[in-house]
Amino acid sequence: MKQQDYKEMTIIPDLKLNIKKIKEISGGSSDVLINEFVTGNIKCALLCCEGMLSTSTITELVLEPITNIDTKKDSHELFHYIQNYLLLSVDRPEATNYDSLFRLINSGFAVLIADGINKALAFGVQGYAVRSISEPSGEGNIMGSHEGFVETVRTNMSLIRRRIKSPELVLELFVKGEKSKTDLCLCYMKDRVPSELLKRIHKSLDNIQLETILTTGYIKPFVESDNFELFSSTGTTERPDVLCSKLIEGRVALLIDGVPFSIVIPKLFCESFQTLDDYSFQPYYSTFIRWIKYAAFLIAVLLPAVYAAIVIYHPELLNSTLLMLLVEAEQKAPLSIVTESLFVLLMYEIIREAGIRLPKPVGGAVSIVSGLIIGDSAVDSGLISTPLLTMSALAVISGFVVPELNDTITILRLSFLIAGGIFGLFGISILACAVLVNICSTEDYGFPYTAPLSPFRSAGMDDTAVRASFPKMQSRNFTVEEYHE
Amino acid sequence: MDKITKNQLSAMLLITDAFTLFCFRGHICLITALGFLCGTVFQFIMSLPLIKLCKDGNSVENSGKFVQSIYLVYLLLWGGMLFSMLWNASDVIYIPYENSNGIWGKLLIAGLIALVCLYSSSTGIKAVSRSAVIASAIGAICLLIVAVSAVFGSDWENLLRTENSDGFFKEISRGFILSGGLGSFAVLLSFTKGNTLKNALYYFTRKIILTAVVTVSSILVAGGIMKITEFPVVTAAQLSQPFPVQRIDSLFLIIFAVFAIFSIAVQSLTAAGLLMKIFPKFRHLRTTSVLVLMIGSAFLFSGENNYSIVYAVAIAFVLLVVPLAILLKRSLTK
Repeated sequence: MKQQDYKEMTIIPDLKLNIKKIKEISGGSSDVLINEFVTGNIKCALLCCEGMLSTSTITELVLEPITNIDTKKDSHELFHYIQNYLLLSVDRPEATNYDSLFRLINSGFAVLIADGINKALAFGVQGYAVRSISEPSGEGNIMGSHEGFVETVRTNMSLIRRRIKSPELVLELFVKGEKSKTDLCLCYMKDRVPSELLKRIHKSLDNIQLETILTTGYIKPFVESDNFELFSSTGTTERPDVLCSKLIEGRVALLIDGVPFSIVIPKLFCESFQTLDDYSFQPYYSTFIRWIKYAAFLIAVLLPAVYAAIVIYHPELLNSTLLMLLVEAEQKAPLSIVTESLFVLLMYEIIREAGIRLPKPVGGAVSIVSGLIIGDSAVDSGLISTPLLTMSALAVISGFVVPELNDTITILRLSFLIAGGIFGLFGISILACAVLVNICSTEDYGFPYTAPLSPFRSAGMDDTAVRASFPKMQSRNFTVEEYHE
Repeated sequence: MDKITKNQLSAMLLITDAFTLFCFRGHICLITALGFLCGTVFQFIMSLPLIKLCKDGNSVENSGKFVQSIYLVYLLLWGGMLFSMLWNASDVIYIPYENSNGIWGKLLIAGLIALVCLYSSSTGIKAVSRSAVIASAIGAICLLIVAVSAVFGSDWENLLRTENSDGFFKEISRGFILSGGLGSFAVLLSFTKGNTLKNALYYFTRKIILTAVVTVSSILVAGGIMKITEFPVVTAAQLSQPFPVQRIDSLFLIIFAVFAIFSIAVQSLTAAGLLMKIFPKFRHLRTTSVLVLMIGSAFLFSGENNYSIVYAVAIAFVLLVVPLAILLKRSLTK
């Protein structure tokens, strides 16, 4: 039977048949518990999912009061009494069909059904095991908060609400995923968000017909443009403080239950170089660090390619001492510079992938084997030249400065290396043109990815070319709508 | 077509103008520079009817298939001219694969540039105009380096050498012909946000500055060997070295390649827009067709006759005659 059919199937008033139906739908699943009892002289059953609710909460708040109800005329009167005279929990939705009934049970609600009524009462007594709030692993920070998002959407909502107590903050909860019934939460500041952006995001989300939603990657294609984009035009963050700063700027965020990351829409290229620490340090230091990051990005993408192009085709760009040094080192290497570079970069990618997938204790061993044994012996044996290894290492380390763009950087680095190795600086130039056009064509919901650089907005340079002081920035009252085209 | 800003319009057209200057063949002296500047002023004066036309809310794109066809042919020929310039200038610029593989290397290089142009044009005017702004900013920095090293390390007496001039009026005519972007200017002006006259003035002012910087730097650096120089701007870029122990002329290759791509992409983008207007069913293959036609038309230009008076007449026709005719027709119908 399809999910859609459960939606149309109203709850059967006869308790015995109702329980039979529930057992039939759940397929006799062991974790669906059905506790039959009599209260107010009416036959009832309390349904719940094992492991999804708190035993102490249900005992104290639901089981005790619900079993001590005086005799009632019928189940309608019983439900009316429970709803209006007993405050058994703060979250008390009703279910009228089997689809919502099972969604509530599987979300950790205790659901009450009774003989002679075609609806069910649910009580929010969730108490499943969750990971506690901890420091984000991917977005390091020195001076700011050390709290990161967790897998539970409601905890994440509270992390945002704790930072923005304004009634203008809207947290819109809804369910997506035909099978997973995943809770999604759309967050925005209703006085800041461009209304057209919100409308279009709602429309995009309506197109989601997925069976399950397990990571942000399931949702991203629905809120991004269909065109081929090298850089993702939606951002992700695992920091509630970063997300709050984005919401204040009029952006929209999407939280997904089970995922400790939120999606931010729209995202700009320059944002990849901004961290929360930039706003903790002195503006002059933050500006310096920001330019270091821009340079690191270019080094990460272009250094191996430029090295290969210069050494192979344009040695006149080097001074004689440096040239002799490189010639001497490269003469000993048995492979061509491009092959060597490709070998080193691909080996790094393999080692990195192994380090991520392996258990943490073994991961350390991988670093030792790769760094000390393979790296050292490759240079000692003359398989790889020292300058080339230095350039590759510099490029790889520079990529870590902008972790958000690491996947794109990796592909671009290899592509530029091949272009530079075959056509020299000319190859790098034409590939750079194609990449530049691709970045400039990236645009979601009318927000260009390259703003405020192109289309140029001088006001936006306050937080792009430099990091202006807060008194200056507060007078600007920036919202992302300024960049809309 | 989407609206663009005056900065974006200027960036796209200035890149084309700079590329045309890079590929300029012949001698340059102070009279040439003055002639080029006067030629640009003439271009502005001649474009006044076009500016009036756009100011009244009309555009080339909405002026009927006949007018659209005239501009399309013009753009295709200019695109061909740009390919021809690229072909000729690549002889004096070191492009690794091209230099070692003769004609096939040249064809491959032209093909690669066409491929990137095809991709660029397919992304639309917004993407190309945004990227042109960034490319022109990088180009401006590089030109500034060349200009500064020209100022500090050159013979200022080169400015007074006028023996290479073919006469002031001939130089004005050559300067007038150096206008690769005017076809696109005529089509794109109506898609620019803000006051049309101010936008046109903004572009022509910057074009005068660019022409002055490039020509004067070239005279300063290469003035002494102008007689034996085929491409004076390229030679000047190769000779002006800001550092004593390193040569940076390979960096000029980067600017040359980037400007070549954007110049051709702007022409093909504009031409593809017109082609789609004339033949709406041709939508999917419009950019490919335009590029093929441009490469085909490149064979019409040998490089020797690129500054013939025929081109001046063609420019005057699209810049002055056609807009004037449309204006006259409109006033008569009223």
